[in-house]
Amino acid sequence: MGRRMTQLNDHPAASIARASRALTLTPGQDLAGYILSLAGRMVVLTITSTSILSILLIFYFVIRESLPFLSEWGAGELIVGREWYPTARPASFGGLPLIVGSLYVTGIAILIAGPLGILAAALLSDIVSFRVRQWAKPIIELLAAIPSVAYGFFAILLVAPWLQETLGMDSGRNALNAGVMLAIMALPTIVSISEDSLTAVGRELREASYGLGATRAETVLKVVIPAGRGGIIAAVILGIMRAIGETMVVWMAAGNAAAIPSPWYDLSSSVRTMTATIAAEMGETPRHTDHYYALFAIGALLLGFTFVLNMVSDYFLGRSRRTGRAKVGK
Amino acid sequence: MSRLRHASDRAFTIVAYGSIFLMVAALGIILGPMILRGSTAVIFRGTVEWRRMQLERFERGDPERLREELEAVTAARAPLYAKLEEFQQGLDAERQIAAARRIFREYRDEMQARGLERQTIAQYRRDLRQVRDALTAAYETQDAVEALAHLDAADAWRGDERFMGTVAEEYFRRVDAYRQVVRSVDLERREVYLEDLNEVREALAQLLGPLPGDPPPALPMNQYGATRWDQAEPALQRLLYRVEWEPADNGEMLVQRLVPRRKAFEGTVLAGLFDVVEQDITSMLNPRWTFYPQFFTDPTRSNHFFGGIGDEVLGTLLLTLVCMLIATPLGIVSAAYLAEAREDHLFVRVLRTCINSLAGVPSIVFGLFGLAFFVLWFLPGGALIPRFEVAGRAFGPVNWPGFGLSRESSILAGGLTLAVLVLPVIIRASEEAIRAVPQTYKEASLALGAGRLRAFVTVILPAALPGILTGIILSLSRAAGETAPILFTAVFAIGPRPGSVTQPTAALSYGSFMIATADNIGPMVPHKQYGMIMTLILLVLVLNVLAILLRSRAARKLRGQ
Repeated sequence: MGRRMTQLNDHPAASIARASRALTLTPGQDLAGYILSLAGRMVVLTITSTSILSILLIFYFVIRESLPFLSEWGAGELIVGREWYPTARPASFGGLPLIVGSLYVTGIAILIAGPLGILAAALLSDIVSFRVRQWAKPIIELLAAIPSVAYGFFAILLVAPWLQETLGMDSGRNALNAGVMLAIMALPTIVSISEDSLTAVGRELREASYGLGATRAETVLKVVIPAGRGGIIAAVILGIMRAIGETMVVWMAAGNAAAIPSPWYDLSSSVRTMTATIAAEMGETPRHTDHYYALFAIGALLLGFTFVLNMVSDYFLGRSRRTGRAKVGK
Repeated sequence: MSRLRHASDRAFTIVAYGSIFLMVAALGIILGPMILRGSTAVIFRGTVEWRRMQLERFERGDPERLREELEAVTAARAPLYAKLEEFQQGLDAERQIAAARRIFREYRDEMQARGLERQTIAQYRRDLRQVRDALTAAYETQDAVEALAHLDAADAWRGDERFMGTVAEEYFRRVDAYRQVVRSVDLERREVYLEDLNEVREALAQLLGPLPGDPPPALPMNQYGATRWDQAEPALQRLLYRVEWEPADNGEMLVQRLVPRRKAFEGTVLAGLFDVVEQDITSMLNPRWTFYPQFFTDPTRSNHFFGGIGDEVLGTLLLTLVCMLIATPLGIVSAAYLAEAREDHLFVRVLRTCINSLAGVPSIVFGLFGLAFFVLWFLPGGALIPRFEVAGRAFGPVNWPGFGLSRESSILAGGLTLAVLVLPVIIRASEEAIRAVPQTYKEASLALGAGRLRAFVTVILPAALPGILTGIILSLSRAAGETAPILFTAVFAIGPRPGSVTQPTAALSYGSFMIATADNIGPMVPHKQYGMIMTLILLVLVLNVLAILLRSRAARKLRGQ
């Protein structure tokens, strides 16, 4: 009997019944709670703003360090000048060969990775079974995860000798080598984003197409891909960004000759990209010299370029998401 | 028509499968050779030179067993060195003459030690000088008949009791040996032989370590022969064949041709050396399968010629640690805010744009930013806004006190730069994980009276933790693999192990780049090149596979399976 009583007293309900705390808050407690939650929100907001602060600081510092160059030499020299001899006397900082070099290898990469990536995305979204897809996606992710220096390593120690000996090129370190490597690196980005947007196209369109008697190839090429084009464009743009911003592979594999390929279709010519120039020269450049500021100016150019591309891809991604949602909703 | 359509449909499917197949093949083709060759850094056939190096440089191994092994190996090498010595007698006149003079001095010392009188010694030596001069003349001449005449003159003193049983007896041994040489070697071709001989000696030193009688080399990398069997094979090749370049048929390119060195020495005693080396190389080097796990922890020696990659591994770990310590809390809090926030809020839209832009910034620009911001300004301190004038009134400069670091690269600066780089990765992954937690969890905890903070920390966060962990692991692997952001902010190629995070360090990614592109040392140590990149790849792969497994488990769990 006594045991039962103790048990009853230990019951949580009993302790709540005995509690002396008032059920309503005093104005002071109310205010303290409010201030506390406000402070908490402020802290969270401050921490969250780190990303905004970071991007602002990146812009501020990269542009600030490139201003001395731009005010002395002007942006024109950097964009149209054809001679990049930063350590010569007098020095010349013509960035055109570097810009062309970047666009050249990126172009090769996208010409390979674009069609291949979109095809692979269509395969994953429309053709293979769920099981295969579950296996294929992690493999593509692994391809994206391999460090760029590993691709560069592969390019110069295994691909370059092969190009030189089997294909008889003068040097294995050239635009083709770097372009192919960049294509492999850009593929995962293109595949996964295109695949997302193709999957988001929805069953209705596909079923309607099949219902009209279209084959699978016709459905994918004429219905699904056009419907998901926003996402595909965004994917290709992100692939371009990946390729143009890549440093180690082009530094190691592209040959680093600051010259515009001539003739333009000669894939075995050596090129030098903007990223590789910064990476190769910043380490040995004395700080706060013209050369140092010029490298920052190239960095600013690169930053602006990718920033604009990012905005464009965001626009297309947003559009494809909105249309996708609208289709599902209605 | 319909057949054509079906055929094109089939073709499309095949091409599409081909694209996926290409990707999987690319993964295999890229990773396969690097991992396979990289594993030879850890598992390989180590020679006796390897064990000697490990004992002398790293104090590893059993001295007693090594001594026994060295004795056996020395015995195996003895005939080879004997042949070399015998051949050299005929060729290297200067060396032989120097030896003859040395013996002459040693004889005087020996006589003095015996307590003979000065005058007696001088008299003895007058006679011995004739022996010496005859021998020297024989060494110097390039005419065989003349040489033999000189040798006979020296031989006339054989049996003289003043010389027999002393160091001078060596002269007569040399007379015999040289008589042999003169008969077999074409003395007129001495200069030609000498050039080849030097190459042979060099190749032998690379294969078996410094030759007996040579002064010990200054550089550690020359103090040992081929430490690995895979290095012994090319060294043996260099010993057995001489590479000649000759123009190819089209007259443009040079083609290499291997000429057996044996040919050059045909008919001499040295020709036998090549046979001996080829037959007995295994007993001279005693290769044995070796497992070298210390590769991952040993510091590098002699500019990567010996040792492991311990410094690089440590540097990469420190850099990622600093990076994650900073990026993880920032990322999770941001993700929590984003997951809870209303989508159409202006601040949220700006925030998302910023995160996307941050993810799109090229890694080399992060490097520039890290240099300008962390290395040159944030850590050492400096002016944020320089002094400026508006309407005649001067403002600023606005200064930042900093943390008192020097304006040099450091682990801290590199880690901070990497943290900014991986921030978007963590935020995106964590937000996705938090959003995947069913809304009912939150509603239930709010209904039980928990505040928003408590609901997040005690209910949502644990449920989302596997997903967040996936994001953390993925950013860890990203940070470990990046090179460009740490180029100007944190790394050097070769240097001391860092004592604190304010010092620069070596790192796997940058080290792989350096050893792959450095023309002087890289090609000599391919196992090291591939070993380093293999370590980096394995680190990243293991982290990624872990993340993939964790994510699929988390997804199953949230689905309630």
